[in-house]
Amino acid sequence: MQPGHRSNARLSLASSQPSAVAERREPAIRVSDLSIVFETNRGQVMAVDRVSFDVSEGEFVCIVGPSGCGKSTVLNTIAGLEVPFEGEVVVEGQPMHRPRPDVGMVFQQPHLFPWKSVRRNIAHGPRMLGKSASQANAIADDLIAMVGLKRFADAYPNTLSGGMQQRVAIARALANQPRVLLMDEPFGALDAQTRAVMQDNLLELRERINATIVFVTHDIDEAIVLADRVLIMSAGPGRILRELDVALPRPRSNAILLEPAYLSLKKDCLDVIRAEGLRAFQQSDES
Amino acid sequence: MTYDNTSTAGKADPPVRRLRASPSAGRPYRLNLLVGALSVPLFILLWELIARSGIVNMVLFPPPSVVAVAILEWMRSGQFFWDLSASLYRVTTGFMVGAVLGIFLGVLTGQFPLVSSLLSPLFHILRPIPPIAFVPIVILWFGLSESGKLFLVVWGVFFTVWLSTHIGVQKVDRGLIRAALMLGTPRRQMLQEIVLLGALPYIVVGLRTAVSISFYTLVAAELAGSFAGIVYRIEIAQQNLQTGQVMGGLAALGLISFIADRLFAALAERTVWWR
Repeated sequence: MQPGHRSNARLSLASSQPSAVAERREPAIRVSDLSIVFETNRGQVMAVDRVSFDVSEGEFVCIVGPSGCGKSTVLNTIAGLEVPFEGEVVVEGQPMHRPRPDVGMVFQQPHLFPWKSVRRNIAHGPRMLGKSASQANAIADDLIAMVGLKRFADAYPNTLSGGMQQRVAIARALANQPRVLLMDEPFGALDAQTRAVMQDNLLELRERINATIVFVTHDIDEAIVLADRVLIMSAGPGRILRELDVALPRPRSNAILLEPAYLSLKKDCLDVIRAEGLRAFQQSDES
Repeated sequence: MTYDNTSTAGKADPPVRRLRASPSAGRPYRLNLLVGALSVPLFILLWELIARSGIVNMVLFPPPSVVAVAILEWMRSGQFFWDLSASLYRVTTGFMVGAVLGIFLGVLTGQFPLVSSLLSPLFHILRPIPPIAFVPIVILWFGLSESGKLFLVVWGVFFTVWLSTHIGVQKVDRGLIRAALMLGTPRRQMLQEIVLLGALPYIVVGLRTAVSISFYTLVAAELAGSFAGIVYRIEIAQQNLQTGQVMGGLAALGLISFIADRLFAALAERTVWWR
């Protein structure tokens, strides 16, 4: 990637970004020249091709792209779940090679422990880090209140709706007070109404925690509503096409979906994606 | 294990309540209940009538009244107690040993591919051999001692429990393991907190199957030569043409294995408490 590429790609709508301050400090996440090759029975497939980006402390970044573009793979690498890879992934100043408790993750499926109540699911992380049962339960109860599930503290996951389960999963990931929260299409399996509510919940939650968040989705609307910055990825092999600063005012909610500033951002996104789609189509036609 | 499961009592109401069955479904249901309650008495009555009608030989096919008298006699003589405890001892000890071995090795082969490569082929070759086929060699090895009988029951129980544990451990949701990894779960805790509990539903099914298998192998073990036991009593009675006693023994065996299965089902419900 050329040095000037990133600033050219930026489509800033307002100049109120604190980027000057943030950029001087060490970024929370630094991904440089990340390449990942999968061995399949049809030979080697390049899933991710020299992806580089930084995420500053406290920033909310969304990675958008079509399914199979390697965005989840990139996220798993930051989580320490995807090894081996080429390039460098540094989180909070430490290279990432295995999962770390200061990096939390919410998956597309809630993956709650079915044999544990909501409270015990959330208390699991603190327990594993050596907290006493009462300390861990206190942490869990705070988070249960924060995600609005007080009535269900003793319920088992199979009695909860999909949205509630995902709220528990978010609370569980926050229980270890991670510096970085990774979210892999966490609302992808929910219906449209629940998804909008969950997005608003997450935006509220974000104001109360100071974690750096990387959120993967294929939904452009979701990305713009949530993020400070959107990275658009292309498929086969996964590359970052563009970065867009989302300089919409905070606190936000789904209500911004009707703002003109939002719509012009979305248009920019769609233009990039359409151009890439067309290119990929022509390429596949030629070969 | 480090947690307790006392919080089941506080389980919240499910968000959606199931609708009640409509009232029109009541009558056939009650009829079914009535017919169900009559099933066994009708069978016994029919049996009594046929046995006493003279179309069959009453000595070979005794009516239930004769069987009942034989059972009472068996109990009154005190032999029943000894036979029952001898059989129960074999079944429970053999079951316990087989189950513990099966779970232990199942976790090992399910969790560690190297151990699996070493043991699974062997187990898959030995598993299909019916335990009864081992009776002759067991007599040579152990004579008529108790250890030979335990060996047969353990053999029967072990493979079933091993296989279901092995499969259960392998089928533990990878997503749960990834989630647990992200939460900082250490390796040792991963086994007891995630893998064992994730495999538990499979293990319980295997154990329940093994309960009836342990009774099958008990029959083989006691027929192979013993000095007390329910099946031993059936064999002795057969040699003396005490057909009432033979059928009484069969009834006792059926009842005991039925009770064992029910008890185990109730226990299983509590073991997999989150279902």
